Amino acid sequence: MPTWFTPATALCGLMFAVSPFLIANAPYESTMGLVQKIFYVHLPSAWMFLIAAIVCGVASVRFLFRGDARHDRLAWAAAELVVLFGIVTLVTGPLWARKAWGVWWQWDVRLTASLIGWMVSVAYLLLRKYGGPGSDKLAAGLALFGMANVPFIYISVNYWRTIHPTTSVVPTLPTSFGLPLWFSTVTFLLLFVLLLRARVRLEEQRAQLDSLYLSADA
Amino acid sequence: MTKRTCVAVSLIWILSPSSGFNPGEFGPDWAVPVAVYAQQPEPVDEFVPIDELPPQDQLPAAPLLIAAYAFVVLALFAYLLSVARRLGRVQRDLERLQAELKRGGLG
Repeated sequence: MPTWFTPATALCGLMFAVSPFLIANAPYESTMGLVQKIFYVHLPSAWMFLIAAIVCGVASVRFLFRGDARHDRLAWAAAELVVLFGIVTLVTGPLWARKAWGVWWQWDVRLTASLIGWMVSVAYLLLRKYGGPGSDKLAAGLALFGMANVPFIYISVNYWRTIHPTTSVVPTLPTSFGLPLWFSTVTFLLLFVLLLRARVRLEEQRAQLDSLYLSADA
Repeated sequence: MTKRTCVAVSLIWILSPSSGFNPGEFGPDWAVPVAVYAQQPEPVDEFVPIDELPPQDQLPAAPLLIAAYAFVVLALFAYLLSVARRLGRVQRDLERLQAELKRGGLG
């Protein structure tokens, strides 16, 4: 692991310990009250979900056109994080919606596109695990669709009629709401980088193990 | 036909759907009071304390909030544990293989 990994892990742990205090001290939103505090984990995890899908897609493009295995390992690691942060987003969202909207789920564009994006990444992982030889290229092609879905997820709330809040909410947040949100976002971003590095390390060691087996057989 | 009858017939025709006349085109002032009145909720006859509501109408926020945060913590922890276990397993395999190779082969 690189030298920055351990101090960054300690910093991330500290930030995760501090963020509940900031969230607890944030004011209650006027119409949603207590349940709005789900926002401070829902939104950062949704952003990490989208960032992971972009990382997976870009790495897959580079793997497809250059054939470098390092990019393939990065794409595989990022795909797992799409699934992780995606499931966090898709579970915390309905828990908030049940109180705020009165329903668990709405088949509106953002929610449906997010679900599709998450399922594309699950398909990527299943393909990598059970696809056999050549599945790396097929999965890379699939990751492109996952990445193409990201801008659609982001802007959908501004173009279609939906009860999901639009993208204009975050830039207009007062400091009392904004501070815990941005603190939580930086914490999630740091966690994302650490998990990605650890997961890439796992793939590097697997590649090293494979090459050792090959050299032993030769 | 008198002048008054002519005015009445003209007004009826203008306000009928077949005339194509749409009061909304002339600004929001025409139809808004009627629409606002129609949207007003029924007047409240009495106040009902929230704990007297039927169970299906009561929805406290705290269990939803706790469930959301608990799920986030559990999901992240489970993934961390999974990556750590996989890393440990591969590391052990690597060390075993390197030791066997040093000893002079796998067989």
